Amino acid sequence: MKEVGYKFDVIVVGAGPAGSAAAYTLAKKGFKVLLVERGRVPGSKNVFGGRVYADPVGEVFDGLDGAPIHRWVTRERISLVSGGEMSSFEFRGSKRTSFTTYLTELAGWMARKVEEAGGVVLTEITVDGLVVEGGRVTGIRVGDERLTSDVVIDAEGINRLLLERAGLVPKLSVRHTGLGVKEVIKLQRDRLEDLFGLEGDEGMAWLMLGDVTDGLPGGAFLYTNRDSVSLGLVIALGDAVKEVGRHVSRYVEALRLHPLLRRYLRDGRIMEYSAHLVPEYTWPDLPHLLYTDGLLVAGDAAGLLLNLGYNFRGVDFAAYSGYLAARAVERAHEMGGMTSENLAIYRDLLEESFVLRQLRKFRRAPRMRENRRLYGAYPGLVNAIMDQLFNSPYETPKVMEALRRAREGRIGWLEMVRDLLEMVRSV
Amino acid sequence: MLRIVVGIKWVPNTTSVNIDPKTGTLIREGIPSVVNPHDLEAVEMALRLRDEYGGRVTAITMSPPSARAGLEHVLGMGVDDAVLVSDRAFAGADTLATSYVLAKVIERLGYDLIVFGQETIDSSTAHVGAQVASWLDIPYVYYVTHARLEGGRLIVRRSLENVRETYELELPALISVAMHTLHPRRVRLSHKLRAKLESPIETWTNRELGLEPDCIGLKGSPTALSKIEMIPKVPRKNEIFRGDPREAAKWLVDKLIEEGLLEV
Repeated sequence: MKEVGYKFDVIVVGAGPAGSAAAYTLAKKGFKVLLVERGRVPGSKNVFGGRVYADPVGEVFDGLDGAPIHRWVTRERISLVSGGEMSSFEFRGSKRTSFTTYLTELAGWMARKVEEAGGVVLTEITVDGLVVEGGRVTGIRVGDERLTSDVVIDAEGINRLLLERAGLVPKLSVRHTGLGVKEVIKLQRDRLEDLFGLEGDEGMAWLMLGDVTDGLPGGAFLYTNRDSVSLGLVIALGDAVKEVGRHVSRYVEALRLHPLLRRYLRDGRIMEYSAHLVPEYTWPDLPHLLYTDGLLVAGDAAGLLLNLGYNFRGVDFAAYSGYLAARAVERAHEMGGMTSENLAIYRDLLEESFVLRQLRKFRRAPRMRENRRLYGAYPGLVNAIMDQLFNSPYETPKVMEALRRAREGRIGWLEMVRDLLEMVRSV
Repeated sequence: MLRIVVGIKWVPNTTSVNIDPKTGTLIREGIPSVVNPHDLEAVEMALRLRDEYGGRVTAITMSPPSARAGLEHVLGMGVDDAVLVSDRAFAGADTLATSYVLAKVIERLGYDLIVFGQETIDSSTAHVGAQVASWLDIPYVYYVTHARLEGGRLIVRRSLENVRETYELELPALISVAMHTLHPRRVRLSHKLRAKLESPIETWTNRELGLEPDCIGLKGSPTALSKIEMIPKVPRKNEIFRGDPREAAKWLVDKLIEEGLLEV
């Protein structure tokens, strides 16, 4: 292996939100930082649903000036779908807390911030391995070349091959992995605003449960961008694997052609199709590697993503964990080196932050999401109740009466109470 | 020392290009650009010659400043240095005005060998190589698949439909590389780092070159494109017959006769 004749304090692998946040924070503090990305541009290998919480990202990047914000989510719609019927709940807020964007644009903006802060960003470089010497990570290997640094921040994403190859983590488990599939569909801007009742830069986040994922546990989403929508779903990888006969693209296709959705998308043109793995870890199943000698792990590679079923927090969690990794490097530097003991502060910082507090708080959410009744029996139940309340030409039943009738043959009282309790405890 | 100059063009990635159905022009907004893939083969040829015989490879492009990313890419492959020829005065150039500027740049750089790709994916004229050779009054061979040095001469092979020709060229000379013959190498970490940290890219404007305004840009471009027409897509019919293979065969033959595609 040839040693490359440059030396960096920090090498960050992966120019996604976690990597760029780490690189930006350290470059700003005067560390010599190299950020390497295998895609042709930063973000080209990233996929997300469609929404980012502004404050954590703004905190990390010192504001959101020039960030590619498409629309501020002011409408939250949650729908339960069964057959051709759907019951929806909608919240129309007045605050600007989260926005929609294209992740490629956002990651590009983040990487530009890294360069402005003095970091070096290299694209089209695939890191083949971590260099480990005497149990300590000392750099990266790219082809037959190696480059050394005091510390490596691994933000390689969920498919953390570098960590696996270095023998630092076990193979990714199917149980802790979801699969997201998504299309971006272009619509005329004014048509999109009319369809979803939006004005100016208002946006909508729409989550659907039920007959939209073919009965598989998972949720479907639609986010409005400037002049397009991001439509997709997240299912458990294990379920997707079992359905080997169906290509995953068919799920999103079925979603687009769903009788309740196709009316919105008829004039649309598909601009992009993407699929990506999604971490589904929660406390305490998190892959326990957050740091070791000379190495920190951030973002999806550390499993730091929250899927509540009705909301996803990925980009902001990733960016914030990258930021905390950078702060850990800073502290370890002050303490005299990038040893495991000094870098352990990373775990403390994560524990004190909303990232791990949230993951711990919602540790029961993945179990709850595995309950298939959420996607079959309950949407059917709710729609059957609504049907009786509104479609009884002569005798409208009382609500409890409607519930009793709707429940028959669908689900037992006991089960319902148990599920309700579990739901209350989980989310 | 072999001084090799290789020309590249920063072009819209046509796999994702849309054509405006009304005007027939490329809609380039937001389309990510790439180095013309056939030019990467020229770069590969240049690098192989340098690696074999020693020397220096300089990449040049005439383009708006965004083409820096393309030059960084070929520097990442191992090109030694690069010149970005960029000036508003050069805008709107046809192939004649482009080749004129490039020839002047190459003349200034000094050269033994100039290498171009066969053509670009965004306009496919294949003019520029030939025209540069003509401005510089040097030998030109195109569709080159192999090149080697022997006794100070460049031995090149070109493949045509059913013959293979070998030429011996006195240097300086210009060759353009047949597309789909060489596999461009991957970028290397050390080269990419050098491209970023040691700024081996120079930018030349017409201030450095001092070319006649009448010979460059829109003014120096006599080409007029009279019309672009879209070739309409042929609508495909699609019928599926299910059932007994014998009946299917009969059904198919009847269909083909009905459509006038088969005569009995």
